Amino acid sequence: MTSFQSTLGEEAGIAEELAESQQAISIAEFFEKNKHMLGFDSGARGLVTAVKEAVDNALDAAEEAGILPDIYVEIEEAGDYYRLIVEDNGPGLTKETLPKVFGKLLYGSRFHAREQSRGQQGIGISAAVLYAQLTSGKPAKITSRTQGASEAEYFELIVDTDDNEPEISVEETTSWDRPHGTRIVLEMEANMRARNQLHDYIKHTAVVNPHARLELREPQEHFKFERATDQLPEETEEIRPHPHGVELGTVMKMLTATDSQTVSGFLQEEFTRVGKKTADSVIDEFRDRHYGREMRWRPPASREDIDLHAAVSNATSNKGADATAAFADAIADAVDDHDRIAHHELLEVVDSAADAVEDDHGTTFGDTVRENAVEAVWLALIDARELEDETEADADAASATDDNPSEPDVSRLVAGLYELADEATSTRKDDEVIHAFAERFAAKFEDAREAEENVRHRLTRTELEAYVDRAADLTEEYDDITFGDTARENVVDAVWGVMSTVPDDPPLVRELNNDRDATSNLVDGMRATDIMAPPTRCLAPITEDLISAGLEKEFDADFYASATRDAEVHGGDPFIVEAGIAYGGDLPAEGSADVMRFANRVPLVYQRGACATTDVVKSIGWRNYGLDQPGGSGLPNGPAVIMVHVASTNVPFTSESKDAVANVPEMEDEIELAIREAARELKSYLNKRRSMQQRRKKQNVLGKILPEMAEKVAEVTGREEPNIDDAIARIMNNVLVERGVEENGDGQAVSVTVENNSSTNESLEITDIVTAEPTGLPDDATVVEMDGEWFIKWAPEVSSNDETALEYEVADGAEFDLDVKGVESEKLTVKQ
Amino acid sequence: MSADNEQQAREQLIDLAAQFYDQFELGEIPHMSVPTRTKNNIEYDEDSNVWVYGDRESTRSANSVKGARKLLKAVYTIEFLAEQLDEDRSSTLRELYYLSESWDNNEAQFNDQDESNSMIEDLEIVSGVTREDFHMRPEESGATIMGPLNLREQTRRGEREIHCQEDVGEGGYQIPNNPDTIEFLDNDADFILAVETGGMRDRLVENGFDEEYNALIVHLKGQPARATRRITKRLHDELDLPVTVFADGDPWSYRIYGSVAYGSIKSAHLSEYLATPEAKYIGIQPADIVEYELPTDPLSDSDINALESELEDPRFQTDYWEEQIELQLEIGKKSEQQSLAARGLDFVTDTYLPERLDEMGIL
Repeated sequence: MTSFQSTLGEEAGIAEELAESQQAISIAEFFEKNKHMLGFDSGARGLVTAVKEAVDNALDAAEEAGILPDIYVEIEEAGDYYRLIVEDNGPGLTKETLPKVFGKLLYGSRFHAREQSRGQQGIGISAAVLYAQLTSGKPAKITSRTQGASEAEYFELIVDTDDNEPEISVEETTSWDRPHGTRIVLEMEANMRARNQLHDYIKHTAVVNPHARLELREPQEHFKFERATDQLPEETEEIRPHPHGVELGTVMKMLTATDSQTVSGFLQEEFTRVGKKTADSVIDEFRDRHYGREMRWRPPASREDIDLHAAVSNATSNKGADATAAFADAIADAVDDHDRIAHHELLEVVDSAADAVEDDHGTTFGDTVRENAVEAVWLALIDARELEDETEADADAASATDDNPSEPDVSRLVAGLYELADEATSTRKDDEVIHAFAERFAAKFEDAREAEENVRHRLTRTELEAYVDRAADLTEEYDDITFGDTARENVVDAVWGVMSTVPDDPPLVRELNNDRDATSNLVDGMRATDIMAPPTRCLAPITEDLISAGLEKEFDADFYASATRDAEVHGGDPFIVEAGIAYGGDLPAEGSADVMRFANRVPLVYQRGACATTDVVKSIGWRNYGLDQPGGSGLPNGPAVIMVHVASTNVPFTSESKDAVANVPEMEDEIELAIREAARELKSYLNKRRSMQQRRKKQNVLGKILPEMAEKVAEVTGREEPNIDDAIARIMNNVLVERGVEENGDGQAVSVTVENNSSTNESLEITDIVTAEPTGLPDDATVVEMDGEWFIKWAPEVSSNDETALEYEVADGAEFDLDVKGVESEKLTVKQ
Repeated sequence: MSADNEQQAREQLIDLAAQFYDQFELGEIPHMSVPTRTKNNIEYDEDSNVWVYGDRESTRSANSVKGARKLLKAVYTIEFLAEQLDEDRSSTLRELYYLSESWDNNEAQFNDQDESNSMIEDLEIVSGVTREDFHMRPEESGATIMGPLNLREQTRRGEREIHCQEDVGEGGYQIPNNPDTIEFLDNDADFILAVETGGMRDRLVENGFDEEYNALIVHLKGQPARATRRITKRLHDELDLPVTVFADGDPWSYRIYGSVAYGSIKSAHLSEYLATPEAKYIGIQPADIVEYELPTDPLSDSDINALESELEDPRFQTDYWEEQIELQLEIGKKSEQQSLAARGLDFVTDTYLPERLDEMGIL
């Protein structure tokens, strides 16, 4: 033991020695060692991540400049390495910023902006440069030309990991055929094992960026994705944070930074969606939390033996009889006008009474007089003696049933609290118990006043809860009855409801500074106030139409649906969720449906299982929407693609590599609602398809049975076979289009009858092609001649169970051909 | 029963087919309506004291695949029946079912015999012709008569004159499928005794009850076949003989009595032709169980349910039946006919039946 002590003593400098090896780490160095955090964990993945970072940057840059993006990606083998080239038609970078954008981590324009963009931290592309230099030892080669510049800048650079600064090896001007844009060439150790992910990334990018033109050339394949629209996404604007999503620490930081003096000004200046009115509501909530509310008691009723007039008169001295009487009258009347009155309200009453009497009688009513009046009335209202009379008050409490006729049987506090508690609790509790509870509850108010702690009966909700709990606990103990949490809560709600917010001024901003508790009350107040959702001009959703257009462009399906939700807030950042579904057609029917995940228009390719989107898709009961779902949970089966896009000023990712959306409940809810919205459309499509299939099946069976039946009936009765088309059309609730031709002198009279046996109204487009010129056509039909054939166009609307006819005349020997559109073929019977 | 009758039956069937034909021609959906054959659609006909179908109808329509198949089968069946009548052949219900297998159209074939049976019932109701007139008969009839009755039966092999005591063995005279081919010649009978079980019938015959009391012993064989009910009704109507029913003392046997007296659900359209409302119930009554201290079995749950539903059944809403059923529910017991043997083999013929018949004013 002793030896240890001596050893320690000898090496007294160990802490200093250890301290010497402590040193700051550059961010670049940190990521050099933790490449996986940025998505560069393997050669295969590194290549995809590098493409992704470069393309994201290119899209952001072009969109910001209002240019329709045109992006070219090339991957080629270069000896032991792969060479990645990404070229865009963006605005280009200036000579000054270019090296930092590519050669310095955490350099970017986005980090502090509340605005939707693909990149956020300014890590991505410089991390790709870092990865390239680490694996191949070669610098990044960057060419950039700004609009209008006669020449392009050319740089070769690496990231100096020691101090996270760009290290430029070549800097020169060069000529480039593009008028503006940026081109980056990286050589890195990589492989093409993640070819599918790479293709997915490019293809999915094309789906959610229908305004972009993309081209990918890799050693084996070459794709081009053309634009589906010339419409750029709406320009986004930066917004201030929303009060519902900021944390305490952020608010404290904002308080130190603001120029505002008052809390109201601070709220209106620094937050979005806060005006004067909202700021007032927030401040009221803050007051309730910070100062508490004041209990309001009922003014004395006429049957009560309380004379406020006398109380005021007694408390007022040396003011002359008239003035005193007027003063006392004014106070007594004003108090009486209140349904309930709190201490601060009483202050106002007394002040205005005093001011009025001063004007009328020319007598000065000073602060002391006013204070005395307030005290006298207040004590009368809360049924208490002056503090000096403590002994008497005690004696009185002990002998409530004594034969002192001037004392009410029950104190005013008990009566008032009894009234509230009785209403708030269930009828099963008997009056005596409630009364006992009210007495104990009142005693808490009384105690606080006597201790001169809380004469004004001012309580925060927490304090009120403590009062109620205490009184309820005692009641449970002495009256042997349960006073449950719900009953307690109801009493607290009832009392809190009648209590009044105090008019105290909120602290100034500088007072709030460093007052953690008060700031916390402010944050709580902000959260408790109803505030309009943040503006969405900072977001650029794809919109329903373009989602469908994007899906239609890349997937050959039978059906497309999409949904865009309204904006919601998470952590002060607004977000919008969109969903799309493609179904049928060439999509593979085997296996489970494809889920495409997007965040701010960037496809998420890796970590599917860790993503909130996938979790939500799996949690939905797809059978309700007509898709197969083995076991009733998990990914649905069948020819479907489900896409989800989360757009936010700050998408909550699970990691820096931005592969998966974190499980944030608000966001999951919205994702679910968006998917369900699109899925409902899918359901009605599938239902309709199914009912058409059933109709077709029924038609097939009946189409066989009924002719056989007709044949048999004819055989048994010994007659000709009957005509069954009308009967079939009627059975199938079909629309029957039937031509009747009759001899009419030299020519023939033609009638095309439409009989609607279905339960809905039908609009038809009928074209009757006739080989001779028709005459006597009605006004609602048009005729066009082409190469000796007359096309009669007629578009009747026929309501359910109704019929209509087109009649005309034509020469003998004419031939006809009917073409009917506007009705599903399953529902249509045409008889030429 | 005559060629006229057959001709009429045939015409009715063809008319039915012609109705479908006309529906087709008018562009209507072919259909036929038949009364719903469930308990809820049975009404008591005050005039004839029998049970007939109410107003509710089910429509067999070609509107659905199922309905269209049914109508197709109906047309095929009509064709078959018409041919059978033409050729003066007959067949059993079961034969119809198998015969449908030979039809050229798979859709027209019956899936099971219930389907073909109910098709025949439908056609009976819609055409107003009984299935006997279609020359359709059930698989087994086999019910018998023993007693002092002389009759003439029109068989396919010529007329036969038969005395139901002298010309038959102990088994008695076999009732033909269509009892309307019988002509009653003369008789010495005083009443008809319809017996539920074969054992009791044999006991009565062995003890010579028919001879001693001039009884016509009709064997019901459980729920009586149409032919048995028809001949009972004819014996009652034409020879003016009182009808008595002798069955077990349990709720199911009361229903046997009910179908003899008032008609059954499935053949309510023929009640007037089959039911004998004047038939009386001899026993075993619940009162007999008490009076004669008969050996008993406890009532099962289904017995109790059946008794309770009989209490609600208008057929049994008479003072007599309410009293008996409530008594039975109270004692919770039931007895078979043959439990009378506990008092000796001759007890039934020497004591029980004479006493009961006397009480009922028949002897």
